[in-house]
Amino acid sequence: MRSAFAKDIVRSIRGSMGRFLAIMGIVALGCGFYAGLQMCGPDMRADADALYDGTNLWDVRLISTLGFSDDDVERVRAVEGVEHVMPSLTCDAMARLGTEQVAVRISSIDVDAARDSMADELYAVTSDDDDYLNRPRLVDGRWPKERGECVVSADVPRADYGIGDTVELLYGSGDLAELLDVDELSIVGTVSSSNYPYTGSFGSTNLGSGMIDQYLFVAPASLAKDAPYTEIYLTVRGAREELSESDAYERVVDATKGRLEDLRSELARERRDDVRREAQEQLDEKWDEYDREKAKADRELADAEAELADAAAKIADGERELADGEAQYRDGVATYERERAATQKKLDDAAAQLDRGQKELDASRETWRKGRDELLAQLGAESLGDARTTLEAQRDQLTAQQAELETQRAGLAAQRADLEAQAEGLRQQVAGLEQLMSAFESRPELVRQCDGLAQQIAAMKEAGADTSELEAQLGQLDAALAAVDAAIAASGMDEGQARAALDQANAGISQLEEGIAQIDAGIAQIDDGLSQLADGLAQVGEGLGAIDQVEDGACKLDEGKAKLDAGRRELAQGRATAARELARGQQELDDAAAKLEDARAELEDGRAQYADGLREYEEGKAEADERFTDALEQLQDAQREIDEVELPDIYALDRTQSEGAATYHADAGRIDSIADVFPFIFFLVAALVSLTTMTRMVEDDRVLIGTYKALGYGTGAIAAKYLAYAGIAGVVGATVGIVILSQVLPFIVMSAYSIIYTVPLHPFPLPINLGIALTSGGLGVGVTLLATWGAVVSSLREVPATLMLPRAPKAGKRILLERIIPVWRRLSFTWKVTFRNLFRYKRRFLMTVIGISGCTALLLVGFGLHDSIWDIIDCQYGPIIHFDTTVGLDDEAIELDVHRVVRCLEDSGEVTGIVRVQNENMQASADGYDETIRVNVVVPRDAEAMARVITFRNRLSGAELPLDDDAVLVTEKLALKYGLAEGDQIVLYDQDDVGNAVGEGHRLRVTGVAENYVGNLVYVGRDAYETLGAGVPVFGTIYASTTPDEDVRKGIADELHDMESVSTVIFSDETINMYRRMLSVVDMIVVVLIVSAAALAYIVLYNLTNINIGERIREIASLKVLGFTRGEVYTYIFREVGLLALIGDAVGLALGIVLERFVVTTAEVDYVMFGRTIHPPSFVYAFALTMLFTGLVVLTMRRRLDRVDMVESLKSVD
Amino acid sequence: MAFVEFRDVSKVYRMGDVEVRAVNGMDFAIEQGEFVVIVGPSGAGKTTVLNMLGGMDTPTSGTIMLDGQEVSAMGERELTQYRRHDIGFVFQFYNLVQNLTALENVELASQICADPLPADEVLAEVGLAARSDNFPSQLSGGEQQRVAIARALAKNPKLLLCDEPTGALDYETGKQILRLLQDTCRNTGRTVAVVTHNQAFTQIADRVIEVREGQARSVRVNEHPADATTLEW
Repeated sequence: MRSAFAKDIVRSIRGSMGRFLAIMGIVALGCGFYAGLQMCGPDMRADADALYDGTNLWDVRLISTLGFSDDDVERVRAVEGVEHVMPSLTCDAMARLGTEQVAVRISSIDVDAARDSMADELYAVTSDDDDYLNRPRLVDGRWPKERGECVVSADVPRADYGIGDTVELLYGSGDLAELLDVDELSIVGTVSSSNYPYTGSFGSTNLGSGMIDQYLFVAPASLAKDAPYTEIYLTVRGAREELSESDAYERVVDATKGRLEDLRSELARERRDDVRREAQEQLDEKWDEYDREKAKADRELADAEAELADAAAKIADGERELADGEAQYRDGVATYERERAATQKKLDDAAAQLDRGQKELDASRETWRKGRDELLAQLGAESLGDARTTLEAQRDQLTAQQAELETQRAGLAAQRADLEAQAEGLRQQVAGLEQLMSAFESRPELVRQCDGLAQQIAAMKEAGADTSELEAQLGQLDAALAAVDAAIAASGMDEGQARAALDQANAGISQLEEGIAQIDAGIAQIDDGLSQLADGLAQVGEGLGAIDQVEDGACKLDEGKAKLDAGRRELAQGRATAARELARGQQELDDAAAKLEDARAELEDGRAQYADGLREYEEGKAEADERFTDALEQLQDAQREIDEVELPDIYALDRTQSEGAATYHADAGRIDSIADVFPFIFFLVAALVSLTTMTRMVEDDRVLIGTYKALGYGTGAIAAKYLAYAGIAGVVGATVGIVILSQVLPFIVMSAYSIIYTVPLHPFPLPINLGIALTSGGLGVGVTLLATWGAVVSSLREVPATLMLPRAPKAGKRILLERIIPVWRRLSFTWKVTFRNLFRYKRRFLMTVIGISGCTALLLVGFGLHDSIWDIIDCQYGPIIHFDTTVGLDDEAIELDVHRVVRCLEDSGEVTGIVRVQNENMQASADGYDETIRVNVVVPRDAEAMARVITFRNRLSGAELPLDDDAVLVTEKLALKYGLAEGDQIVLYDQDDVGNAVGEGHRLRVTGVAENYVGNLVYVGRDAYETLGAGVPVFGTIYASTTPDEDVRKGIADELHDMESVSTVIFSDETINMYRRMLSVVDMIVVVLIVSAAALAYIVLYNLTNINIGERIREIASLKVLGFTRGEVYTYIFREVGLLALIGDAVGLALGIVLERFVVTTAEVDYVMFGRTIHPPSFVYAFALTMLFTGLVVLTMRRRLDRVDMVESLKSVD
Repeated sequence: MAFVEFRDVSKVYRMGDVEVRAVNGMDFAIEQGEFVVIVGPSGAGKTTVLNMLGGMDTPTSGTIMLDGQEVSAMGERELTQYRRHDIGFVFQFYNLVQNLTALENVELASQICADPLPADEVLAEVGLAARSDNFPSQLSGGEQQRVAIARALAKNPKLLLCDEPTGALDYETGKQILRLLQDTCRNTGRTVAVVTHNQAFTQIADRVIEVREGQARSVRVNEHPADATTLEW
């Protein structure tokens, strides 16, 4: 019986291969998909664990803000649970690598251990040194040995540098020199480190773009002397045995980590004291040096000052001398000019005089000639000699006559004088006589007066009056009278005598006077003669004189001529002399001028030198001042710093805080979440497929079942056949599906992820996780069996008798559409049948609609995912970000640097829309959240300009968001993560070197949520930024737009890179390409989804059609007999399939939207927001592809319809 | 020339290595307007004859003529047209479309041919005017067969072929159906061929073709066929 049972089953299977395969296929698909997806995560984690264990990756990492000493390392080693310890020095720096400035993480490596380590082909790097952790795998080249050598990551995509190139270290997040002894490293090899599994970012830093672009390992020889360890890596005992980041692993690690955390305060205290002591010693030396230097500089300055003063004095002297010289020169010039003029004038005068003299001489000569001729004519002489002789003879004659007359006259004059003397005597007599006469005449009067006065005096004396005056008068009068009397007495004559004497004297006088008159007349006569003679003489004299004159004139003329000639000669001589002298004067002046010029030049030189000297001095002084002020400040700062050295922050980090490991782990988790949802559809469809298929099978076998029942088989035995049938299909399907898809799906997913992770791909065969396989298979088979049981059980309830009868055909039913009579009337019977059938078989309807909708949904998820991912780029670059070039300046850049860069961009002529912003790496959070996330805080210098290069809008409302100085715009993904909306508060923290939030945080009120896809940003207006208290921003990041021309870009980039201050030049194209590469991961998943969808659609539709045809073979045969053409028969059956597919397709689009949303939000990483819209073409594709699959199924099923024999119509119902 | 002619028609089925001669040199003729009964025991080849005459199968050799058309020479496409326009088929098990009402089942046929009779009239003729809106499951067997006959008639076929039309019916109902068929023939002059194993039916036929071992053993004409209502078996 057992074998008969088995035979029966085998025959049923063989006889209904399509049905069997349908069940098998859908179970295979469901289980395989579930198992495959479920295994992706564990496989990924197992791979990572193998890599981590194989390379002795750390379990706990200690970081101190003040570093660690060797003692600290030993302290850590002593902690319970700590297995192996490796101290290391790690620092971040900006470096010039190839053509770019990138942020690099530099770590020291144990060179000997590295050289002795052996890498196998897959995961492991073995070494004898157990304390050698995080063992990198040497990919190419060799390990660094010497100072200045390094190895770099081999996992950096598109590296344009390699072995033999140089890494130029520019600046670090801290003081590089404290840690490194080199500023240039040459690449000697490439490595791959399990500590950096994620190639998208090797970690966070506060440099550059905030992400580590490259990591290097250097030999200890390249480290600075006395550089402390910055971190301690350690492994935890027992952690290795556990799967990395599993709960068990976390438990083991957390225990030790807890103990390490307890040790932190002790470590911190010790460390601070060490650091303070060391620093103080160093600083003290510096103080000394400062003092020494300062003294020296002061001395030097003083010397210089003195020198300058001397020079100044000398210059002043020189100036004075020069002024004197100039004055002298001016005088000299004036004198010269004056003299020259005078000389000239004199010479001119002389010349004029000479001319005049010449003229006069000429005139005189003429006059003289005339006079001579006249004279000669007058004298009637021939010549002047003759005339002179004549005249001299006349003169001699006349002179003789004159002398005679003179003698006569002298006789007469002597007579006269005699007479005169007599007359005089007489006249004196007369005068005496007359006086006597007057005395006679005046005497009576005097006597009377005397009398009168005497009386008067008497009278007055009587009267008693004063008479002294009158008495005086009287005295005088008496004197006068006495005089008169004396005179009379002297004469001795009386009056008459006197008179007669008088008359006699008068007569004598008259006689005398007559004689005198006669003499006078004679004299007058003589005088006349004399005067005539004199005239004659005069005439002769005149004539002689004239001759003399003429002769004299001739002489004088000659003399004049001679004088003139002499004058002329003299003049000529004078001229020559003057010219000579003037020339000499001129020469002298010129010499003086030249000398002056020299002196002036010399002075100018002196002055310039002085100015130079002064400037130099001042600059030197200023510089020195500044230097010393700076130095002082620095020293003071340093001192303050030392004084204020706080307890270092020591962090104990585990792998969940390692960006690479955590990102990988999170991605594995994402696959888990997707794996939980997707297969649900497949299982649901599997159940429905099994249910409908098995129902059909049971119904086909009604009579058989009745027979079995009638023969006495129990319900269980009969059901067993169908359960076995379904079970075999399920188990085979599950096995095949799980075996194939648990290899294929993880392989595809992991291959995709291997683009961005360095975790090696597990070689085939991939491990099959038994638990998952069993769960999946159990679920798949269970669902099938359950559905089968459901199908069988209803039939088995019936009694054999009814079973033996053909089941009454399912009754026709009216449907809602018939109530719309006009429409219904117009329908052909095929449409009526189709519509009635659609609603006649609910299970089939559901199976098909769910299956097809699942197919469409999967396709839509696939295409939608693709849209969402490419939208990251398409929506970000263009619609939101309008600029394509970002130029970042290093942290030390100041306004001048930025300005220079801006000008360089402007001058290139290829760059437009330049906007400057301040870009800060910070950590953000919100109330109610502990976790912080790295954000870029962007502060535009000119908000208006910023709004021109970035569109700020709300994605949902499409409303533009104003970016004013108070704005705080949060990008959408960030807002989503922290549930932020307009008006909420975001908290921004500063971050330390390892990307931890520090400080209290600054609260800002969010003014809008902006659409954004790449990165988490907070756009903060200037005023709002000020409230962060971060000081004056430099706006050292420049956004600009440039041409897509590669060469031009390269030119601009090269030019910018040549500028010291420029740290990054990023063209969006590069970013876009990077994302494209990273996101191509998902494209592979899209392919997987499309293939699965196709398989799903095929199985469902095949099954549906199969059942449909099987159920209606009579009907089809009848129709054929009735004369239906082939096409009409196809239509009759396939229209229904098509309509069901259409309905399923439509439902699937709706379902797909929901599913896509789930997948998108699950697959998203923190750093990006996927596009939230599915593009219309994707709906079209998903819809059309489903219909295409339907069409394919229909095409293959046509043959089945063709094979339906018309003879079937003649057969009985069973 | 007769309306329907079978001339030396043979049909050989090949079942693996075995050749089965279902029909072996069949010869007969039917005149227009006759009520013909093709009778024979199971396996005599009457179904094969029916198939070939109904255009559902083609003979291996020989000629089949209907109203001047050589059916045996038709290709698949022509056969479909032949079935569509020239043949009305009544099945033993009615073969109604369950999801269509009585009227709709009639329309199903009338909608595909060139010159159909009005469906409702035909349905009324078979006496089912009142049940035209009922689904097959709501009708009795006889009623269903009437619908089937109406469906065949609505096509206005040249030949009405009936395969054991009473086979699934009780005696009384069967008689009514036979009567309907006979009346149809008498009243409309349509040629009707009934294939049956029941010898009793020969009484009512105008012409009886007896089939045995793949050949027309005898063809005889009833001068006075009985009325179907009087039939007893």
